[in-house]
Amino acid sequence: MDVIYDKMKLFKEHKVVNWHEHVWSDGKGELDERDCDRLVETACKTYMDKLVCSLPITRKNPRPDDVKKCNDIVARAMKRHPGVIKGFAFINPGYVKEALAEIDRCFNDLGMIGVKLYNQYFISDPVVRSVIEKCIDLGIPILEHAGKTNFNQQEQPFISDGTHFAKVAHEYPEAVIIEAHIGGGGDWQWSLKAIADCANIYTDVSGSVCDEGLIEETVRYLGADRALFGTDGSISAGIGKMIGAKIPEQDKIKILGNPRFDKYLERGL
Amino acid sequence: MLIDINTYVGHWPFRKVGNGTADELIKVMDDSGIDMAAVSSINAIFYKDSQQGNDELIGQIDRYKERFIPFAIINPSYTGWKKDFEDCIGKMGMKGLELYPYYHQYRLTDSNAVELVRMAAERSIAVHLPCSVVNIRQRHWLDTTENLSVQEVEEVVRLCPDTDFIITNGPVLRMAGCLEKAAGSRKGRIYYDFARVDIFSTDFTALIESVGADRVVFGSVAPMQYIAPQLVKLHYSGLNDIEQEKVMSGNLKQLFGLCCGRSSH
Repeated sequence: MDVIYDKMKLFKEHKVVNWHEHVWSDGKGELDERDCDRLVETACKTYMDKLVCSLPITRKNPRPDDVKKCNDIVARAMKRHPGVIKGFAFINPGYVKEALAEIDRCFNDLGMIGVKLYNQYFISDPVVRSVIEKCIDLGIPILEHAGKTNFNQQEQPFISDGTHFAKVAHEYPEAVIIEAHIGGGGDWQWSLKAIADCANIYTDVSGSVCDEGLIEETVRYLGADRALFGTDGSISAGIGKMIGAKIPEQDKIKILGNPRFDKYLERGL
Repeated sequence: MLIDINTYVGHWPFRKVGNGTADELIKVMDDSGIDMAAVSSINAIFYKDSQQGNDELIGQIDRYKERFIPFAIINPSYTGWKKDFEDCIGKMGMKGLELYPYYHQYRLTDSNAVELVRMAAERSIAVHLPCSVVNIRQRHWLDTTENLSVQEVEEVVRLCPDTDFIITNGPVLRMAGCLEKAAGSRKGRIYYDFARVDIFSTDFTALIESVGADRVVFGSVAPMQYIAPQLVKLHYSGLNDIEQEKVMSGNLKQLFGLCCGRSSH
């Protein structure tokens, strides 16, 4: 117990930005305020300064109206906890015209700071190009759901793995893209190796997987500069991985509050 | 005092994992404030003859009798399993039985497995059922395609009412939901770890409410996984001092008869 009390100083004494979290609907199309408040309370208890949240639709091919509703819920969370919750706009790139308009709405009107893509398309699919180019124009990052799953692959046939990100990195070296949750349950070694040489592809360390070596290998392949702290619902796992990793303290501090991403946090509420 | 129910020594064949020797594991435990650990042999999962892994384990931990509680991995579908079990418990002083049906390709409900689990009860030996070793979504192409199924556990628990079970590294809340219906009528106890339960969701509270602090134990899956996430969970658990003592060590002390806080094997 005391071991952790001391080690939580890493979080207490440094800036901590959680780049991968979610707020949810209450089932009636409104923000689940209780869940949202609990998330912020947890962030407070664990010394997280910012929570970057989105609300993706994780099944099928959502229509633009449904996408808007998700983003409105995130906007409500941002208003409820200004200065703590920052928003990423969930976008379905398949509806190109509506997707671009929704990015504009979320960025200009709702004060969001990035785009969240899920598994509707591989990130290297040509249909995603307009969204990537829009994000480049606006100077905002993309967080894409990802994983190299070696089990039950048919469940997410279009989930992007490291090779898809690498393809996009070469096509759009000016884009800033986060390959989500390196600890999200897929083959993280594959993911890291595939993007190792792609300077504009980042990863967040979220996910429930706590494999020994996960953070060390992330830093070995990408460097701490290209890693971001995140939890994606697995908060104790996220904190524990950072505490348990055998990497230099300075690298931990860098991941917890990656200065390369500071500029994005200046926007919005 | 902190006792860990789920650690390994040995070589994991599907990726490089550090700290696989008893000496290294002891250092990892020391760094994390773990006083004692139930330990089994990864090699016993993968050798055709699991008993060779059990032999290796006993050889490795000989210097640390005060720190380790050795668990025997027995494959009841492989010839000689009864003698192996008797040797492990009777001659080698092992304190528990650990089963991997999804690696050894049998069902817990197969007659040999049921007989083995009942033998454990006759010897007052607990049966550890890890639901998995690694997250199956990242499996190596030669690794198992199965985790322990809730239905299989439910059935073996029903067939072996006198046996104490410890269920770890899996969807324990869901398991408990199924198993606790029958728990009251069983003589044997069922314990659960929280390795795959997030403390900040409602699941941990739900687990404690469902089974009680008397039935929850600490398990890290070291050295395969970082220990710190489990320590973070303890730190933020919200348990009172009495409950925390039970989860950290009291429940396992009682299960293993460790009245003085150290293993007597």
